[in-house]
Amino acid sequence: MGKISLVQMKGNQKGKIHDIVGGETLHQKLAHIGVYKGREILKVNHVGLRGPVVIKVGRGILALGHTIATKILVDVE
Amino acid sequence: MIKKVYLIGNPNVGKSAVFSRLTGVHVMSSNYPGTTVEISRGLLTVGEQRVDVVDLPGTYSLEPTSRAEEVAVSLLNEHPQNEIAVVNILDATNLERNLFLTLQLLEKGFSVIVCLNMCDDAVHRGVHIDTRKLEDILQVPVVATCAIAGTGIKDLVARIVETAARPRVSLNFQDRWAEIGRIVENVQRLEHRHHTLREMLEDASVKPLTGLVMAGAVIYASFKVVRFIGEGIITYITDPFFINIYQPLLEKMTSGWQPGSFLFHLLIGDLIDGGIDFKQSLGVLTTAPYIEFGMVLPYVIAFYLILSLLEDVGYLPRLAILLDNLLHRLGLHGYAVIPVLLGFGCNVPGILSTRVLESKRERFIAATLISIGVPCVPLQAMIFGLLGVFGGFYVAGVYLVLFSLIIILGLILNRLMPGYSPEFLLEIPPYRFPPLWMLAQKLYFRIKGFIVEAVPVVLIGVFIINILLFVQAFDLAAGIFAPIVHGLFGLPQESIIALVIGFFRKDVAVGLLMPLDLSAKQLFIASTLLAISFPCVATFIVLWKELGVKDVIKATLLMIGVSLIVGTLLNFVILS
Repeated sequence: MGKISLVQMKGNQKGKIHDIVGGETLHQKLAHIGVYKGREILKVNHVGLRGPVVIKVGRGILALGHTIATKILVDVE
Repeated sequence: MIKKVYLIGNPNVGKSAVFSRLTGVHVMSSNYPGTTVEISRGLLTVGEQRVDVVDLPGTYSLEPTSRAEEVAVSLLNEHPQNEIAVVNILDATNLERNLFLTLQLLEKGFSVIVCLNMCDDAVHRGVHIDTRKLEDILQVPVVATCAIAGTGIKDLVARIVETAARPRVSLNFQDRWAEIGRIVENVQRLEHRHHTLREMLEDASVKPLTGLVMAGAVIYASFKVVRFIGEGIITYITDPFFINIYQPLLEKMTSGWQPGSFLFHLLIGDLIDGGIDFKQSLGVLTTAPYIEFGMVLPYVIAFYLILSLLEDVGYLPRLAILLDNLLHRLGLHGYAVIPVLLGFGCNVPGILSTRVLESKRERFIAATLISIGVPCVPLQAMIFGLLGVFGGFYVAGVYLVLFSLIIILGLILNRLMPGYSPEFLLEIPPYRFPPLWMLAQKLYFRIKGFIVEAVPVVLIGVFIINILLFVQAFDLAAGIFAPIVHGLFGLPQESIIALVIGFFRKDVAVGLLMPLDLSAKQLFIASTLLAISFPCVATFIVLWKELGVKDVIKATLLMIGVSLIVGTLLNFVILS
């Protein structure tokens, strides 16, 4: 198991959120849409070099801005 | 006793559709979050009495993290809890995420009715939810509905009276999600389905390569279809009507009138080669209705048909993520695509919807760029009608100038304005195909809105212009501005009237250029200037309301500056 950021994950790779490096507001905002420590996610892909990251959480698809994505650390196999 | 019913739910769960089913009041719903910026209110009969129904903006939780969410939460706390019923609308295809808000509502002690919407779509996707079990767990009524088809709504209304507060222990978010996991495990059964074509298209549209190819194809096709439908309506419906029916009628009615008299000048205008020319006569009964119904309306219909379709299908959020990268450089983020696209229809809703952007800085940049670089449908229709005669090359040129302006101004504003662009965090809805009646209804309301707003202004506008022309009131203005208009922009003095009128209606303004017999170059410059200079008065008022006096002055100075520079450059450098 390695710890990498959401940006570094590959498309179609699964992982479990290890930590979110950010303030209370970011934690809260992400938690409301189901992105929180310990949650399993699937990275769908990355749009361009510094574009948003698209992930699957449960049955929903989310797009997260590049900067937010760098703050989300994920345990991958 | 229930005095008020609130509808609350995550964005994009079909809340507006439930609302219009409950109250019979029409509201626009679109397949992207943030449509309900305005609060809709209506009435509903519960038991024996009529109660108010309030449709709250979409929210993910009761701890607001955006302006729309703040509004929702503060409205919810307006009345004592025992006087209100809260209809919590859930998207059955994504039960897990939706339950977060439901649990919060219950924890806070609201009387909740759970409305599991989009049940038909859930079944399609192999999601089966046991509503009985869910009801047992939550201890409040759970009703499955499909608001688009209207199923389940009666049941929902009937059960509103049943609800009562069933408080649950307050949890922190980690524990709440764990609890949700257990509930979902209990009530939801997933049937394994193979990837459908729809899901494959959903995935392809967010991948960079296939996504960009799709975006290019969608935009190109939309443009082509709008032109095809617009021109089709003009050629086969409106033009035959104006020329074969309306013109003979008008000529008969006015056969006894004296050409050149005041009334004739006002209503019919000038006769061209002894007859009425709808494009050049400039009368209240000739050119005014022809511009609105014969040149602009066909394109308005075509544009809103395509826009409504793209909205309801759920394509726009996908476009937003593809363009996020580019828009970041302009000080915006992907979501600004939606105000910009709405602005292509009419700048007013475009600027209103900049509210979905979080920071004041972003709203200023977006609103300014829209009012400078995004031409509305009426203006575009007229540019097509006039400049198109000289060849598509010129029309494309106008778009190219406007597009370059958006990019250049965005880059500059992003550098100069203090602050930062917030990051983008967006849910991508599944593709949904709206039933035809919903599309038709939406189109009807948008077109009605256009007619109600535009037609009186156009008729009164032409009326006033004709009086002013008759008393030669423009001569003074033409004299004063001649050095700029003629000297810098290379336009004849008379076109000053058109540029001034542009402040009232862009389409009429271009219409005023028709009798002037301008060259392709002059028409190119005038059309471009009409797009970038002052927005029309309706847009201006909205800008004022949304940005405040100080920023409106800033934006206006920018528009004037840009117009002077672009007009001069086009005249002396680019087109010389």
